[in-house]
Amino acid sequence: MAYSDKVLDHYSNPRNVGSLDKNSSEVGTGLVGAPECGDVMKLQIKVNPQTNVIEDAKFKTFGCGSAIASSSLATEWVKGKTVDEALQIKNTEIVKELSLPPVKIHCSVLAEDAIRAAIHDWKKKQDVAKPATVAAQ
Amino acid sequence: MASVFVANLFMGNVESNTSSSLTMTGDATATCWSCGTMRAVHFCSACGKVQPPVPVDYFTFFGLSRKLNLNTALLEREFYELSRKLHPDLCARADKREQEWSLEQSSLLNDAYRTLKDPIKRTEYLLRLEGVELEEQSKAATEKARAAGEIKKQVVPPDLLEEVFELNMQLEELRAQKKLGEDDPALVEEIGRQKLELEEKYESLSEELKKYWDEWDRLPGNATEEGRRKVRDKMVDLLNRRSYIRNLVRDVSEVLEG
Repeated sequence: MAYSDKVLDHYSNPRNVGSLDKNSSEVGTGLVGAPECGDVMKLQIKVNPQTNVIEDAKFKTFGCGSAIASSSLATEWVKGKTVDEALQIKNTEIVKELSLPPVKIHCSVLAEDAIRAAIHDWKKKQDVAKPATVAAQ
Repeated sequence: MASVFVANLFMGNVESNTSSSLTMTGDATATCWSCGTMRAVHFCSACGKVQPPVPVDYFTFFGLSRKLNLNTALLEREFYELSRKLHPDLCARADKREQEWSLEQSSLLNDAYRTLKDPIKRTEYLLRLEGVELEEQSKAATEKARAAGEIKKQVVPPDLLEEVFELNMQLEELRAQKKLGEDDPALVEEIGRQKLELEEKYESLSEELKKYWDEWDRLPGNATEEGRRKVRDKMVDLLNRRSYIRNLVRDVSEVLEG
């Protein structure tokens, strides 16, 4: 099976590889996996607390080229979006952008899961952080 | 509903060449096309003629009930017996239809045997028959979570994911060290230790899976859907964990031996 040019581009030149401080209240971390292929993907977002805009995103994926490309693309797409906008990203859009074949659709699913998990983690932190901030003031 | 699913599953394997035989009416499949006696799945017990394939699952094909513990020695014997009887060469003098049927039946026999003799493939196959879409579980769950605006429950438990991720990080480090020809003995030892742990875990997951085969086989015929689902879900979970660990052990071995 041949990878598309876009997959190859993201694979050989992945954007935003790395990690953010997972203990920061502005950072949300999503760790997800696909049992079908044994892939595991970590995606982190840094959100501006005033605007809810995702200012930075990092990922680290252990898996096939399509999984790496999907998560690389996901970090590119979420950057600059608000968390609510980022929640609208669908795996099918990733499939389309990267021309993923049917057997690799689960890689795009993984990327969507990772975005949603990261946002969920961040939201959870905000819920916890709010009363604490009030108490501190 | 269930029988339609089984039919589809069956037809998926032989779709291209059995369309004519599958259009038979229900009555026609119950009797031998040649002598009219009640027929078996593959050939007539009375006149021995090969029968056109009918939509049955692999368990039914071998005359087995949907149980997960099965005697593979018996299965093998039955396989050879049927292979011999269904062999297309034996039907060389038969008419063209019969030759085609024996070819189709033989190919079905091979698929059925390959699937049922391997306990893991057998389990996965049974789960599919039961309506579990193993390959689709992630996608279906994602779509459901998206529609409901909820967070999807990962099919793989978080603790295992964490472990898989951390070990992969260490493997990456060791790969990089090996490239430079200066691998850290402490890291090699640490990864080797984890590999042993994983292999133990793999064994215990396999053992646990066997327990659920027994549990499945013990379910009474009138078991509730709820009761069946519980056992199915547990098997899916164990298969997921098991395949993760299997892949991890494979990767670790590659790095350590590479």
